[in-house]
Amino acid sequence: MSERIHYKNIDELPEIALSVGSTRVLKTGSWRNVKPVIEDKAAPCTKACPIGTKIPQYFYHTIEKDLDKAADILLEKNPFPAITGRVCPAFCQIGCNRKRFDERISIREIERFVGDYILERGYKVKNLPSDTGKSIAVVGSGPAGMAAAYYLRRAGHKVTIYERESLPGGVLRYGIPPYRLPKDILDKEFEMLLNMGIKIETNRELSKDLDLEELRKNFDALFIATGAWIEKKMKIEGEELFLSGVHFLKEFNTGKDISRFKGKKVACIGAGNVAMDVVRTLKRINAKPEILYRRTEAEMPALEEEREKAKKDGIPFHLLVLPIKAKEKNGKTVLTIQRMQLGEPDSSGRRRPVPVEGSEYEEEYDFVIKAIGEESDRKLLPPEYLGEDGWPYADKKTAATKVKGVFAGGDFIQGPSTVVEAESWAQKAAESINRYLKGEDLTIKESVPKTVSYMLIKTDYFKKEKAIHPFELTVEERINSFEEEVKTLSDELAIKEAKRCFSCGYCNSCGNCFVYCPDMAVLWKDSRPLIDYDFCKGCGVCASECPRGIINMV
Amino acid sequence: MEKLKTREKKVLYGNHAVSYGVKVSRVQVISAYPITPQTPVVELLSEMCGKKELNATFVNVESEHSAMAVCIGASISGARVFTATSSQGLLLMHELLHWATGDRLPIVMAVINRAVAAPWSIWSDQNDTISQRDTGWMQIYCESNQEVLDSIILAYKVSEKVFLPTMIVLDAFILSHTAEPVEIPSQEEVDNFLPPLVLPWALDPQKPVAIGAVVSPSGPYMELRYKIQKAMEKALEEIENASLEYESITGRRWGVFEEFMMDDADTVIVVSGAISSTFKYTVNEIRKEKNKKIGVLRMRVLRPFPFVKLREILGDRKRIIVVDRNISFGSGGVFFNEIRSCLYNLKRRPKILGYITGLGGRDITPKDIYDMIEDAEKRKGEEDIIFFGLKEENINL
Repeated sequence: MSERIHYKNIDELPEIALSVGSTRVLKTGSWRNVKPVIEDKAAPCTKACPIGTKIPQYFYHTIEKDLDKAADILLEKNPFPAITGRVCPAFCQIGCNRKRFDERISIREIERFVGDYILERGYKVKNLPSDTGKSIAVVGSGPAGMAAAYYLRRAGHKVTIYERESLPGGVLRYGIPPYRLPKDILDKEFEMLLNMGIKIETNRELSKDLDLEELRKNFDALFIATGAWIEKKMKIEGEELFLSGVHFLKEFNTGKDISRFKGKKVACIGAGNVAMDVVRTLKRINAKPEILYRRTEAEMPALEEEREKAKKDGIPFHLLVLPIKAKEKNGKTVLTIQRMQLGEPDSSGRRRPVPVEGSEYEEEYDFVIKAIGEESDRKLLPPEYLGEDGWPYADKKTAATKVKGVFAGGDFIQGPSTVVEAESWAQKAAESINRYLKGEDLTIKESVPKTVSYMLIKTDYFKKEKAIHPFELTVEERINSFEEEVKTLSDELAIKEAKRCFSCGYCNSCGNCFVYCPDMAVLWKDSRPLIDYDFCKGCGVCASECPRGIINMV
Repeated sequence: MEKLKTREKKVLYGNHAVSYGVKVSRVQVISAYPITPQTPVVELLSEMCGKKELNATFVNVESEHSAMAVCIGASISGARVFTATSSQGLLLMHELLHWATGDRLPIVMAVINRAVAAPWSIWSDQNDTISQRDTGWMQIYCESNQEVLDSIILAYKVSEKVFLPTMIVLDAFILSHTAEPVEIPSQEEVDNFLPPLVLPWALDPQKPVAIGAVVSPSGPYMELRYKIQKAMEKALEEIENASLEYESITGRRWGVFEEFMMDDADTVIVVSGAISSTFKYTVNEIRKEKNKKIGVLRMRVLRPFPFVKLREILGDRKRIIVVDRNISFGSGGVFFNEIRSCLYNLKRRPKILGYITGLGGRDITPKDIYDMIEDAEKRKGEEDIIFFGLKEENINL
C-alpha cells in the first residue's frame, strides 16, 4: 500500500506529515465497544390512537407536499380520515409529546386535511391482493361495519354489507348532526367503498329479513356491528312521556319535520355526546333547550369541546339535578326534579350523585328528551352468543364471538363510544377473520415497539410555536345554520402545523447524525442515515444529537 | 475609498486594540469561547462581523478546545484565523496547541495573561502562557495597547512567513481593561504590509490527503521536529525584518527587545509585560537621584528564545536582575532560568539574580522596585530563586 518517497535534502522534505494514501484501510470501527443502531420507534400519538395511525410518517410526506404518499400511509390504518378528522376525540393529541413543550399538534386537523384530499382523489388502494375466493358478510354499516368491510376488501375478500336502514352509515348518518359531519362527506366515503368492489344491501334487518344461520351458511365469516340504539330506561313514573335522544337525532337526520320544537322549552336529560348533539341541534331550529344533569361538569361524558361549544351556544346547564317523576299537564310535561350532591366515587371512578332530601321542585317543559346512554339490542342474537352478563359478547383482542366464524364489535359490544374505537374493533376483527380463514390461531402476538417519551426529545432543536387551530364559525353564525362549523385547514396552514411535529421516533431525514458524526461514519442513502460500522467508533454523538430518539447505543 | 487610506486614533482598551488589530488584518475565520478577562475581545469582533465591518465567519463553540479545533480546521483550509483566550481556557487548548504547530499553521491567538487556579484568581500573572512555552507557539509579551494592536498585525506577517502559530500576550486588566490612545494604521497600509495568506498545504478537495497521520520511528518524525526548530530560529530574523518594515510605515518599531537606559548600565533589570513601565519609570527616578548605572531590558519574545542577541546585550554587565511574574514549581522563574542558562557558556559571566513577584495580580510599585534593587545589591548571586513581596500580614493571621 505504502511507498517510500526519498527526498534529496531536509529543505525538500515537506513541512508537515502528509499522506496521500487512503486512511480507509484502517477500519477504526474495531475500536468500538458500543454501537449505534437506527431503530424507528412508536410515537406517543400513534400509541394513543386506537387504530395505530402512523402519524409522524404521513406528516413527513405531507410536509414534502407528497399528499399521495401521505394518503396511502394514512389509509393503511384509517379508512375514513375525512370523518375521523372531523369527529374524532383525538386521543393522539392527548398523547402528543409536544404538549409538554408548548402546545400539542393539531393532529386531527391535519388528518382532516389529508382526508379531504383522499375524498377528491379516491382510495386508489395499491396492490389489492388477488381474490382470496372467500366472502364475508358485514351486518351494520356504521363506522365499525364500514371499516371492517374496507379492511377485509383490502385483504382480498369479497364483502357484502347488510344495513337495516334505507341508507348506509349508521350513527354517522343518523346520529351525528351535519354541522359536525356533512352528509356529502359520508356519501363520498361510501362511493369509494363501492368503487373498491364492496356490495351494500340496504333495508335488510337482522332477525327480521336477514337470518343469522343463513348468513353463516352462505358466507365464510361474519362480522356483526349493529351499534347501540336503545335508549336506557330511567325507571321513573311518567318516563313514557319522554322522547329518546337517538330517535330525535334520527328523525332530524332523515329530514323529517321537527318544526314542532321551534320556540319550545325542551329539557334534555343527560350530558353525553348524544345530549350535546340534541341540544345543539335544537338551538339551531330556534328551540330553547336546557341540559339537566345529575352530576357536575367534571363528570360529564361528553367531549370537552362539544360541552364548551354548547355552553357558548347559550344553552343553560342545570347541574346536580335528577328528574324523578313526570306527569302531563295541558299537553306539557311537568318534571319533578330532585337536587343532588356528590358522594363517594362509584365503579366508574366518578363521584356518585346522592339525593338532597326535601329539595324536590317542579318545572314545566314543552318536551323532554332523554339522552342518558344507549345500549345494544340483546334480542338480536340467540343465547349462545351472549356473555355471562346477558349482553352480546366478543373477545376484546380478537373480536371473536363464542360462535365459530362469527365476529362482532363496535358499540354493539362496547356500548356507546367513538368512531375510531369502532374502527379499532373492525381492525381487530379483520385481522382475526384473515387468520380464521387461513386456519391460524386468532391470538395476535403483538410486538410492541418502544415509545419515545418526552425525555428523549432534544428540545433544543425546536423553537416554541403555538398550535394552529382551524377556522370556525362564530357563535352567531353557527346557531342559525347547519353549515359545518369547523373548516378544513388550508394547504399552507396544514403543512405549517405538520412541521411543528417532533416526529417522535420516526426519522424525518433531518441529517443531524450525518452532520455531527466526527468520523463520517454516518452515510446518507436514499435520504436516510446508514451507519458505516467499518468506521464508527461508537462515540454516541449521533444518538445524543438525534432530536427524536431514533438511535440507540447498544 | 478615502476610508481605506485613513489612519484612525481611538482610545481603546487592550482587549479592543486586539479586535481592531484583527479587523485590519482581514481575518477570515474567528472561533472563540468567552472567559474573563478575554470576553470583550470577541464581543467586539462578533459585533464587527454582525455589522459586516469585518468579513469573517464567526464560529461559536462550547469550549476552548473546540475553538482551537475550529481554528485548525479553518487554517488548514487556507483561511487566516484568529482566537483569543486566557488562563484555564488556554490550558484546555493545550493538546491542540501542539497540533497547530505540528501542522505548521500560522494561527494567531491573543492570550490575556491571567493567573491559574486553584485558588481562583482572575488577575494578571504569566503562568498560563509560561506553561505553554513548549508547544511550538511563538510568544510575544506586550507592554502597551498600541503594542498589542501592532503586534497582532506583525504576528500574521511573521507566522505566515515561517508557518508557526503566535500568541500575543497582554496583561489581565492592566492592559485588557485599561484604555489608552491607540493609532490604527489605515486598511490600505495593512493590506500592503500583509498580503493574503498562501498556505502551500491548504486542503484541496480535488486532491485528498490525510494530514498528520502516524509516522514510524524510522520515518521523518524527528526531521519534522528539526524543521520546526529551524523555523523558530528563522522567525527571530523575520521578527526583526517585519518590525523594520512596519516601522517604515508607522514609525513604530517592535523588535525582539526594548532597551531602556542600557548604554552604560552595569546593572540590568530584565522584565516583560505591562509591569515593565513601572520598572522604566523607577529606574529613571533612581538615575536622577543616585547616579546608579542601571537599565531595563524588556523581553518581548520568549519563543523563539533570542540566545545570541541576549548574550550580546547582557554578556559584559555586572549584575542582572530577572523579574519573573511566574513560577515553574520546583525550579523557579522561567525567564530567569532561561537567561541564566543562555549566559552559562560565556567566559566572564555577570552575577544573575531571579526574583519571583506579582503572582495572582499583586501590584508591583516603585517602592517595591527600590527595595528589590537594594536587596539585589546585597546579594552575591548564589540563590536559585528569590521570592519577593511575600506579605507578612497574609502569613501571620
